[in-house]
Amino acid sequence: MLAASSLLLLTMGAHAETRPQYGGTLQISVREAPTTLDPADTAQQDTLASRNITKLIFETLVTTDDNDRISYGLATWWMFEAGGRSQSFQFRLRKNVIFHDGTTLSPAIAAASLRAANPSWKITSNTDSVIVECDPPCPYLPEELALPRNAIVKKSSDGKLSGTGPFHINEWHPGKKLLLGAEENYWGGSPFLHEIDIEFGKTFREQLVSLELGKSDLIQIPAEQSHRISTANVKLWRSAPLELIALVFGHDAQSAADKSLREALALCVDRASIGSVILQGSAQPDASVLPNWMTGYGFAFSTETDLARARQLRQEVRTAPLWAVSYDSADPIAGLLAERIALNARDAVLQLQPTKTAASDLHVAKIPLPSDPIMALATVATATGLPAPQINSGSAEDLYSAERELLATQKLIPLFHLPVVYATTKAVHGGLTRQDGMWNLADIWLSRQKTGSDRP
Amino acid sequence: MNFRRKLLTVFAFTVVLSVASVAFLVSTLTRRAFARNEDEQSASLMAQFQREFDAQGKEIARRIDAIAASDAVAHMAATIDQGSTGSAGFFDLAKSLAENYQLDFLEFVDGNGTIVSSAQWAAKFGYPETAFAELARLAGQPAFLKHEDLQDSSALGMFAVSTAQVADHPLYAIGGRRLDKDFLAVLELPADTRILLYQNPASTTTDGSLIDSSSRDASKPSNADKLAPLINATRGTGRGVTEIVHWSPDAADDEMFHAIPLQGKVNAQPLLGILLIGNSRRSYVELERRIRASALLVGGGGILLVILVSSWAAARVTRPVERLAHAAHEVAMGNWNTRVEVEGTDELSQLADAFNRMTTELLTQKERLVQTERVAAWRELARRLAHELKNPLFPLQLTVENLLRARQNSPDQFDEVFRESSTTLLAEISNLKAIIGRFSEFSKMPQPQWQSTDMNEVLRGIAQLFRAQLQARAAKPIECVLDLDAGLTTISADPELLHRALSNLVLNAMDAMPDGGTLTLRSHHSDNGARVEIADTGSGLTPEECERIFTPYYTSKQHGTGLGLAIVQSVVSDHRGTINVHSEPRRGTTFVIELPRNPELTQAVSA
Repeated sequence: MLAASSLLLLTMGAHAETRPQYGGTLQISVREAPTTLDPADTAQQDTLASRNITKLIFETLVTTDDNDRISYGLATWWMFEAGGRSQSFQFRLRKNVIFHDGTTLSPAIAAASLRAANPSWKITSNTDSVIVECDPPCPYLPEELALPRNAIVKKSSDGKLSGTGPFHINEWHPGKKLLLGAEENYWGGSPFLHEIDIEFGKTFREQLVSLELGKSDLIQIPAEQSHRISTANVKLWRSAPLELIALVFGHDAQSAADKSLREALALCVDRASIGSVILQGSAQPDASVLPNWMTGYGFAFSTETDLARARQLRQEVRTAPLWAVSYDSADPIAGLLAERIALNARDAVLQLQPTKTAASDLHVAKIPLPSDPIMALATVATATGLPAPQINSGSAEDLYSAERELLATQKLIPLFHLPVVYATTKAVHGGLTRQDGMWNLADIWLSRQKTGSDRP
Repeated sequence: MNFRRKLLTVFAFTVVLSVASVAFLVSTLTRRAFARNEDEQSASLMAQFQREFDAQGKEIARRIDAIAASDAVAHMAATIDQGSTGSAGFFDLAKSLAENYQLDFLEFVDGNGTIVSSAQWAAKFGYPETAFAELARLAGQPAFLKHEDLQDSSALGMFAVSTAQVADHPLYAIGGRRLDKDFLAVLELPADTRILLYQNPASTTTDGSLIDSSSRDASKPSNADKLAPLINATRGTGRGVTEIVHWSPDAADDEMFHAIPLQGKVNAQPLLGILLIGNSRRSYVELERRIRASALLVGGGGILLVILVSSWAAARVTRPVERLAHAAHEVAMGNWNTRVEVEGTDELSQLADAFNRMTTELLTQKERLVQTERVAAWRELARRLAHELKNPLFPLQLTVENLLRARQNSPDQFDEVFRESSTTLLAEISNLKAIIGRFSEFSKMPQPQWQSTDMNEVLRGIAQLFRAQLQARAAKPIECVLDLDAGLTTISADPELLHRALSNLVLNAMDAMPDGGTLTLRSHHSDNGARVEIADTGSGLTPEECERIFTPYYTSKQHGTGLGLAIVQSVVSDHRGTINVHSEPRRGTTFVIELPRNPELTQAVSA
């Protein structure tokens, strides 16, 4: 009898580990050190970490589901109207949505938030809806509104930010620490986690040590380092390759000679060896802006090194300037990439000088792409200082054409697409991340050992 | 310069020369001692550098061997041996091993010379190691110097090579340490010595290519441009060079640098670096300055002492000589009674005694001569008087005898004879009176009555006086020429006496020109007064006559008394002047009289 009872309890306990549990504090360490949580603050660098944090606190009118399709967010319905050259979208807001400060979400607040993020848009509101008028037309407005930067934010008179997301802000020390608490009254249902404690500005090594010591439950690790992580006590979560690594020039091509030199540089980069050695095979060598999984035509852009052609192009130019190529000094891989590309360039008699200083001719850029290809192209265009490409239908042909047009500017040389890799302790359960690398922390829970007696 | 000053100068020069010689000798010996010390220090430092190089080289070789024997490298070698491309899994292995083994450089190169992993240039994987053939040959050898190319620079280091062999595929571990400030800091440097390492034998010297063991010391300059000539000379010759480097105008900042080339074994780079051992010359310069200052002080003090001592000594030596010189001067001035005090028995005393005896003898001789001359003068006077008086007496005797004879023999003609004889007697008696009068006049020459006198006026007056006599000689006229200096100033003189004296000269000139000629009266301004010349174009005088012409009672004329020129000389002498005669036979005679401007002052001073 006693043995049977013990076996039953053991079976129930084992089952409880796979069943969602409430409570616990999820410890997160990230390299980024944001100084504001305002998603509309364009001065802040757009990173996956900042997007993830935004989505924990704030929500957008529309969002993308796991299959990258637009779905409802704070809006429960929208309507599209075309009139002449302008277009208008009407978004009806979800009812009974409460901001963390207790205020009810209203169309006026939502419209004000969107206007703050997009001053050029004409945004109005009525009793239950927000109306956005576009002139010229913006057929992909819902996709754009799904971006975290268009999240609905309520700013109090003292500058405090309030959102409608599953977590509210308990403590905020800019650049150092953010403590979020579960929002019991969240319209989507209370998250399993009781708190999320995020520490900023941690190096990869510090994050890894913190994870191994159990002080962190979730860290983001460089994709090329993922093979070094022992999976005995750690779970790895990998997104689709959606972080673009590219060489981005600081200015447009000035002359035919400049264009030839840029083309020569693009041809001499040995993506294969960089991908296999420096990035440890974790990256997808690409010469396209958008990853192949997103468009299906990425293979059409050749990644092969053509030193002969590069040298020929170089010889057509009398003198090649010394290009300073900068990189993020906090990112060791970026430095190695710059050095290797400089070596490759030397093979084509081009001179590149890696530097950590911001003043440079070109830089190694890491651009996190939204999962939507149109938004991704727009993001890249913005990041490289180019106008957003005009895409009519969103078909593969249109995307290809737009991408070709973007690359024809020779403002950037795409190199790789990297996945985003997260590591969590075994105590973290549930689906952590989606294909686009965004966290899904509202749906994960911690095992009993971790939750302790936080929650019953 | 008198004798005493000469003596002082010689003494002072001797002292200065002695002090300068000693200072030069001390400076030279000091310089040589410092140079020898610097050479010894440099040699010692170089030996210390070599010992440290060998010691660290052995340690590097040991670590490289340990790395090559490590499991990680064995795993990498095995992986490569199995056909893997190598770098994919190991490109950062070199960096981690270099950190673990505390090496600055570490590269793994496969058997084809391709870099598998590089600690110093991580991005260089897959590229060939340019010096692979030579490096492979140096496997297992002692550490060596090598330049290592880095991302944006190059570095000099001590390297060692070891091999990890798996089957037939070797994997070379090439690593080492920088030859940098830390290495130099290990060396124990003597005071005022520093060591620099010039790393990159490029065409230009820059601060970046120089490593200074003492660069933290702000007092020590490190301007590489100043070292460029030394470095270039070393690079040019490939041998050690020693030069003084001047960092500033202050010589105390100078440094003596010994440049020692560092040879390499790889890439045909015979000269990889230059070791620069700098010895501050401050101690030497300051010591040299102290020596110089001491020499100046001793020299100056010595000169003062010499002046004092030599003044005393020279005074002792030169005082008798000066007394002798003064006595000789007195003798020259006519004071024949001058005596010199004789002290001691040395040579100068003997000289003084001889001088005294000489003056005594001269005085005796002079008195004897004066006596002789006086006797001769009296004889001459007696002869002249006898001669002068004898001439009138003979007619007087004949006339008286004629009167007596006429009284006896021709009384009737006695009256006539008496008248004629009386006339003759009176004439001759008159002649006698004239002779006696001239002698009386010579003995009664008056003293000059000084007044401002224009000599040109005196000469014009004489010319006016004798113009009638000169013109009276119509058949054989004498032309009188006045050549007077208009700028002649007045002098203090007695115009009457000068008129008499110059008249005598004019009369003599007229006598010298019986066949006519030119009489020239000339005046000149002289520095001291006036010069007067009386020149004729007459028969002239012989040299013997010129010598005796001013002797009283000497005459070359048939009826002269020989007192005329003696009177002239007496007048000129009373005016403190001089008279000279220049004459050539048949070309004329010129008397030149020099008269001082203020003879009465000269007379007073002389008195």
